Amino acid sequence: MKIIEVSNLKKSYGTNHVLQGVNFQAQSGEVIGVIGKNGAGKSTFLEILMTIKQYDAGTVIVLDENIESLPMNRLELVRKQISVVLQPTQFYKTLKVEELLKLFKAYYKSSIDIKKIIIDFKLEPHRKKYFDKLSGGWKQIVSLAIAFLSEPKLLILDEPTTGLDPHMRNMLWSYITDYNKRTGGTVILTTHNMDEIELYCDKVMLINNGVNEVFDTTEGILASGYKSINEFYLAKVSI
Amino acid sequence: MLGTQLKYDLIMFSRELFYLVFTVFVPPATYIFMGQLFGEQTYAGNLSYAQTYTPSFILLITFTVIFFAFGFDQVTQRTTGVEKRISLSPVSKNTLLLSSIIRSTIITSFGYGFILIIGMLMYDLEFHLLSFLTSYGFFILLNAVLLTIASAIYSFFQNMNSALVFSIVIFQVVIFTGGFAMPISMMPKFIQIIADFNPMYHMNNLFIAVWNGQLTFDNNVLLAIGYIGALVIVALFILRIQNRQKIG
Repeated sequence: MKIIEVSNLKKSYGTNHVLQGVNFQAQSGEVIGVIGKNGAGKSTFLEILMTIKQYDAGTVIVLDENIESLPMNRLELVRKQISVVLQPTQFYKTLKVEELLKLFKAYYKSSIDIKKIIIDFKLEPHRKKYFDKLSGGWKQIVSLAIAFLSEPKLLILDEPTTGLDPHMRNMLWSYITDYNKRTGGTVILTTHNMDEIELYCDKVMLINNGVNEVFDTTEGILASGYKSINEFYLAKVSI
Repeated sequence: MLGTQLKYDLIMFSRELFYLVFTVFVPPATYIFMGQLFGEQTYAGNLSYAQTYTPSFILLITFTVIFFAFGFDQVTQRTTGVEKRISLSPVSKNTLLLSSIIRSTIITSFGYGFILIIGMLMYDLEFHLLSFLTSYGFFILLNAVLLTIASAIYSFFQNMNSALVFSIVIFQVVIFTGGFAMPISMMPKFIQIIADFNPMYHMNNLFIAVWNGQLTFDNNVLLAIGYIGALVIVALFILRIQNRQKIG
């Protein structure tokens, strides 16, 4: 089942033509990594998929809805089926971690037990801390915990592992892969960590010079002669 | 959902020292201080200090709550990315807006009661149920006007620092040209001219008149109502445009 279909997507900021004709598809259950150098347009691309950024041209279909000029009530229905982790992660700064989880549990009308989420994400020592007082890594973990309060059809993560130590990173990926296997949900993420792409992603899209220069399976890229995704990236992207 | 959002909105307000100082402490303290200085004087319409300045300071609290805890808070959430994150959650914009409006109304009503009690205890303000109900109804109407205008003004800000500077400057302008510090007729001519353009000055005069049962629909009152009404229409127009730009 097709979850996302993007054709000839274009987006500019003034004279900076960030996306100049991106084509992309995501099927149900796929984990897709979007890579590219800083400023390549990865976050812009994700925010368009999240339905929170306007674009200049092209077609974007998310969960069977063409999001261009979609009325607000139908846009909200699409958004209900998406969970996100943004970069940087921000929530109400004067709410404590446990309060944030309770508030978002109410937003998602989730049946998941907050205590279980706190235990699973090792948030017990931070449960009474204000979100604003957490380190960047813990903010990211809270953001992920909130994203997993619902069981969305589409999970979009913008650099989710940035700032996390290896243990946290493992924990995050075990959650993502478990979610993906259990629910058949689609995961689209950006990262600068090519090992993560190689280990966990089914497909890779490289955005370079405003277009999807490569959009292939991870296996396909490795089978084409590259020893690793990192080698592939270094060969394809110049500074 | 609305109840949960409102609960956390009120918790967040109570934890913002900056909002609390400017909204809950400064206006009542100023009301008491001014009363000690000018409590014995008689003001326009043969009114006492309490009859003139009790509605004025209730309006001042309403202004500070709405401009700081509603308007400025919107800018904070927009510029820090909170608004973007919340917009991606399955909570409707109407729920968030309604909660924000109810929160402001609860806090300003608390301010209303607080100033009223101080006035009754310290400055012999009399309580009449009918006039209380009329004044409170008018106060709710002023709440709606200020919420609309504040929302439109702060929708232009994309930077928290500039919104903060604006808030502090506008607070001073409102204090001195809204008739909250001393009667405008005692101020220099240029202040009187600025006051004519300050909607808070007109709202203040109208609220004092309603509070004391002295509202008569003469030319000045009709002009004031027309001016405030025009500003509300402009604000609604701005909000409509800004909202359209945000979608998608």
